[in-house]
Amino acid sequence: MRIEDLQVAFSTEEGPVEALDGVELTIHQGTFHGLIGETGCGKSVTGQTIMGLLDNNARIKKGRIMYREQDLLKLSSRQMERQIRGNEIAMIFQDPGSSLNPLFTIKNQIEEAIKMYRPVPRERREGLILEALQQVKLPDARNLMHRYPHQLSGGMKQRVMIAMMLACNPRLLIADEPTTALDVSIQAQFIKVLKDLKDNLDLTILYITHDLAVISELCDYVSVMYAGRIVENLSMYDLFRDPCHPYTEKLVNSVLGVSTRLDQLEEIPGSVPRLINPPPGCRFHPRCSEVLPVCSQEVPLLKEVKGLHSVACHRR
Amino acid sequence: MNQELKQEIAELKQQKTSQMYLTWVRFKRNRLSVIGLSFVLVVIFIAIFAPVLTPYHPYETDPFNRLASPSRENPLGTDELGRDLLTRLLYGSRIALQVGILIVLFEGFIGISFGLLAGYFGGWVDEIIMRLVDILRSFPVIILAMAIAGIMGQGLFNVVLAIGLVGWTTYARMVRGKILSIKEADYVEAAYAAGESTVSVILRYILPNVLPTAIIMVCIMMPTALIASATLSFLGVGVQPPLPCWGSIAAAGRDYIIRAPWISTTAGFFIMFTVLGFNFIGDGLRDAFDPTSKRN
Amino acid sequence: MNKWGYVGKRLLKTIPIIIGVTLVTFLILHLSPGDPVRIMLGPYATPETVAALRAQYGLDQPLPLQYFSWLGNIAQGDLGTSIRYNRPVTELVQARIGITLTLTLAGLVISVTLGSILGILAALKQNSWLDYLCTFQAMFWISIPGFWLAILLLYIFGLQLRWVPIAGLSGFASVILPALTIGLQEEAWFARPMRAEMLGVLNEGYIKAARAKGVRYYRVVGKHALRNVMVPMITMLALRLPWVIAGSVVVEVVFAWGGMGSLLVNSVLARDYPVVQGILLIIALSVVLANLLADLVYSLIDPRIRVEGGKK
Repeated sequence: MRIEDLQVAFSTEEGPVEALDGVELTIHQGTFHGLIGETGCGKSVTGQTIMGLLDNNARIKKGRIMYREQDLLKLSSRQMERQIRGNEIAMIFQDPGSSLNPLFTIKNQIEEAIKMYRPVPRERREGLILEALQQVKLPDARNLMHRYPHQLSGGMKQRVMIAMMLACNPRLLIADEPTTALDVSIQAQFIKVLKDLKDNLDLTILYITHDLAVISELCDYVSVMYAGRIVENLSMYDLFRDPCHPYTEKLVNSVLGVSTRLDQLEEIPGSVPRLINPPPGCRFHPRCSEVLPVCSQEVPLLKEVKGLHSVACHRR
Repeated sequence: MNQELKQEIAELKQQKTSQMYLTWVRFKRNRLSVIGLSFVLVVIFIAIFAPVLTPYHPYETDPFNRLASPSRENPLGTDELGRDLLTRLLYGSRIALQVGILIVLFEGFIGISFGLLAGYFGGWVDEIIMRLVDILRSFPVIILAMAIAGIMGQGLFNVVLAIGLVGWTTYARMVRGKILSIKEADYVEAAYAAGESTVSVILRYILPNVLPTAIIMVCIMMPTALIASATLSFLGVGVQPPLPCWGSIAAAGRDYIIRAPWISTTAGFFIMFTVLGFNFIGDGLRDAFDPTSKRN
Repeated sequence: MNKWGYVGKRLLKTIPIIIGVTLVTFLILHLSPGDPVRIMLGPYATPETVAALRAQYGLDQPLPLQYFSWLGNIAQGDLGTSIRYNRPVTELVQARIGITLTLTLAGLVISVTLGSILGILAALKQNSWLDYLCTFQAMFWISIPGFWLAILLLYIFGLQLRWVPIAGLSGFASVILPALTIGLQEEAWFARPMRAEMLGVLNEGYIKAARAKGVRYYRVVGKHALRNVMVPMITMLALRLPWVIAGSVVVEVVFAWGGMGSLLVNSVLARDYPVVQGILLIIALSVVLANLLADLVYSLIDPRIRVEGGKK
């Protein structure tokens, strides 16, 4: 999948908000791709745009989302519904508590996904549901599928969500901060489940998070996002060894690793700019410690550093 | 310490005042509620100036001019006793507003008192009052009021009494709900912390905050009161002839619907005009006080 | 708490309400400014008939005793005897209740169907002309008295266009106008809450999640959203039932149907108190029953209610 120059704006009471301003992103088949950035930088909007599930007040101004030789943005909502969502691309959301319909059993909700994309006789559906639940390591699946969402814990619900989405057999799964609402201990368990899925299935994941630790556990490639733009694309290896963008660098340094001493921990001064009136030029320049005069005037474009590593910074 | 708390309370109250102003601004911006307000003002104007607006008296009969069609002398024709219909309808606004306001005040008084008691004291007081509400709500308002009015005997004040005795439950429920939320509010807890007494807290903090709710409710309940009283009159247990009441005029006109269809239709139109006005206002007020309940 | 615990708890809560309803019905009679028996019989009754009637109703006994013997009779299915017809109230009601029931049910079906469809459409096309039209028409219907709407429909479709019979009960065609009167009036009370609830539910995460797995939008609305708005809508239904019944009483009078509603109005006017009491009790008890039923239906729809034990 390749996203090119994607621009999305929201109309709000205070005026238009440019949530995405020229997002460039390539996700390779079979990899886990991390999308990282601070809250409100447009990560989730990117995911929702791919799914065609933006809110009513959003408008896609420009760009292409190329997926298997077709532009998703050119498809009708009907085509998105019938051809793409579910059986090509599925998505799980931040809050597992509200993502499952409280009035239907787990079985019913997974069955709904299976019914649409796998023409199997009714008797075999139950087997598929069980299989899906066992895939995400849910214990006692036979019993569990007859339960209602409110009878499960948050971590279980999120695993049910994955099982439900995998039951559609998608090629690409978008995970929008799936661990943010979970306890730390449950998070680890959840990530282990994802890791096993990575080993056993031919699955591509776009993993959206602000948690660098999670990304380093799971992903092969990372895109760093800042205020509606991608500032750096790089491999997991390069992220910790050779980050090129000052923002990436600070992000990495701000994470408390086991070996890091407290005095080495860096804080990024200031906060994410409000997108209703973003700073001109490079949007990071007011917070950057290595500003050049050009930074406040020209928008830096993504430049290749080596191979799959590219960065949008005037210094490089 | 005490001084600081007092100041904090004053600031929180200040916020309330500016909220009232905001509410008014929002109300004005809503086109429908302004239309509603003008409707109601027209009805009030008619009620006050009815004698100036028409040369006739509402009780003035004319046996030789019964059920006349609309003409220059009688713009809406005459009724079954030869009285000028327009005159009776104009005077009818007096009865309608009078009865409506009395009902709303009466049921408002009962309902708000019970709601205050239930919400403030909770426990068994709340339990008893709310069970009473449940019991009364099992009866259709109009039907129970009709039975009560029928048993007590007809007349304007019995209509008010009957509808009021049945209709207060809505107020009680809303006021109780509002109080339960106010009781948790910061400024009330702050007032207690500053050592104010229960009575003073009720009078100075809780009552003023329930007031907006009560005002909205009066506007929301007015349509129900108007329609209920008109319906009682229509069914023959309400305000009695010869008093010019829209409900009983419509009822009388029903018997002559073939010869004089204008009697029932115009009487109903006057009711609709008034009720629509209050409904528009009520809707506008509700949105103005609680903008989150509006669109989005 | 299991399902039966919830049902039992709910039943238990109904008992005091039923007792209260009988008390209100019983005490109403004593609101009359004078001696109810004298008022019932009129000014020309002889002292003997007054005394006889008083004894017959047990009015010479203390109030609590009167209440319990009245309650005892009701428990045996005896609602008393009509003064005007000199026949048992149950018999009078039995002959007429079918008409009122038909009208109430027809009115409910029309209003709920129409209101739900309009409310859902308004929510799906939020802020469109359809949405505004829906809001405005609802406002219009709740602003006109039922008797006037009935007269207007009768005049236009019965007298002028002659599409339907104008009065009395004669086959399906005669039900249309009365049912439509109630349906249109009550539809407004379902359309607006339906719109608001639907808008709320459509913003829920599970709607987006269901769409993310590729479920068709109309199915998401029809299954996931609709089921979730059903609980508040059933509450509304139970809340409006008394008004629908009152509506059918008024409509019966206008269309000259000899149902339970007309009987009630005529009995009020004729001061036939046993009939008034009997019908009031029947209406109130059906409302209580409908509320109970609504609560039980919630627990079938929403599994969370069964667990929390009916917290509303």
